[in-house]
Amino acid sequence: MNGMILNITRFVVLLFVQVLLLNQIEIGFGIQIMVYPLFIFLLPMKMNRIPLLFLSFFFGLSIDAFSNTYGLHTSAILLFAFLKPVIFNLFYNQDDFDPSIEINILNMGMMWFLKVFGTLLFIHHFWFFFIEMLDLNKVGFVFQKTLLSVPLSFMICILLQYLFVKKQK
Amino acid sequence: MRNFIAFIKHFQVYLVFALLQGVAFWLYFSFNQFPKTQYFTTASSLQGTVLTYRNDLTKHFNLSDNNLRLQKENIELLQKNPISFIPMQNGLVKINDTLNQTQFEYIPATIINSTYDKRDNYFTINIGSSQGVERGMGVFTMNGVVGIIHNTSEHFSVIKSCLTKKLNISIMLEGTGEFGFLEWNGENPRIGSMTGVSNDLLVEKNTKIVTRGGDKVFPKGIPVGTVDSVASIEGKPLWDIQFVFGEDFRKIQNVYVIKNFLLDEQENLENQVLE
Repeated sequence: MNGMILNITRFVVLLFVQVLLLNQIEIGFGIQIMVYPLFIFLLPMKMNRIPLLFLSFFFGLSIDAFSNTYGLHTSAILLFAFLKPVIFNLFYNQDDFDPSIEINILNMGMMWFLKVFGTLLFIHHFWFFFIEMLDLNKVGFVFQKTLLSVPLSFMICILLQYLFVKKQK
Repeated sequence: MRNFIAFIKHFQVYLVFALLQGVAFWLYFSFNQFPKTQYFTTASSLQGTVLTYRNDLTKHFNLSDNNLRLQKENIELLQKNPISFIPMQNGLVKINDTLNQTQFEYIPATIINSTYDKRDNYFTINIGSSQGVERGMGVFTMNGVVGIIHNTSEHFSVIKSCLTKKLNISIMLEGTGEFGFLEWNGENPRIGSMTGVSNDLLVEKNTKIVTRGGDKVFPKGIPVGTVDSVASIEGKPLWDIQFVFGEDFRKIQNVYVIKNFLLDEQENLENQVLE
């Protein structure tokens, strides 16, 4: 029950941080900061994949409703949710993985977070910018946007976790 | 049959993913063409209300800039006011003439949400169908063209701005009258491009670009920008003209929506010809 309330709070907070704050920060060079995938990432690992997909569809649609992109964020976050278990298994480590533990940077460590979340975030951003541009001649520009945006998004995600997530004992 | 069900069960995650992804794509690509529903855009009342609150907080950041701009506009208008003229010929009588009829009316609006860094940038304004805004109306400021109304609800509207993939406003070079279409390549929010100008014409830098008029949306002669660079397109007898937008879309806050009173008349006439 507690977990439910926590996740609903995260949903609302990340939604509004994204659409009211980060969508307005326009640095130039095509940089666009997106931290909302963190919500999907922090969901418990034991959650079923199909409810996860539906939840991310709904979450993406909420983001889209405020950004006038209308399906673009949804598509990217769906890919993120779909690939989450795949990437998890890729970096699976028998020794330090306990399924009951909550997934976040404090419990899992910086290196693990960098590998798993970094990969997922990169795929998410690349997909988003590629579908947005949809022009094979501009793949270079898509890469530029992705490579500049991912580190910024990543750092803000780390910051948010240190500020608002408690370490599990 | 059993095999089929087993197949579905085995691949259900993939199927759900493909289905939802398909819905997302369908939404994305259909919105670009026809905005059927307004519930998922910032024109809807829930999102509009939230964004209005935010705009109430942030609109003061550019207050001094906007005041200066309004002052400039006021001065321009004041200079056209009869009190700033000395009558050169006394005894002339002013009459209400029937030679001029109003074709365009301008509705002021405030932008409550905008972006300039995405591939397709939309602006949300605080007036909607109850103030007479309709899909397809033009939007501009004193500095330049802004875009075309894409979607309206009762109290809010979404503008498809000049910073989108396909806007198709017809524009022309001031002076020579050579015309083309406005496009944006998605990189720099200050630079747009003009397509369709044939390269046997000499185009000089700093030539002004204005709207062509006659497209039922904008009157003739609203500024768009000034030519920045001219290059030739390989294999085509056309210039690739890059120009600087007159309006800085990063700072824009107040706009005017154009209402065309003769729109129906012109459309009826054109439809008759087509039939």
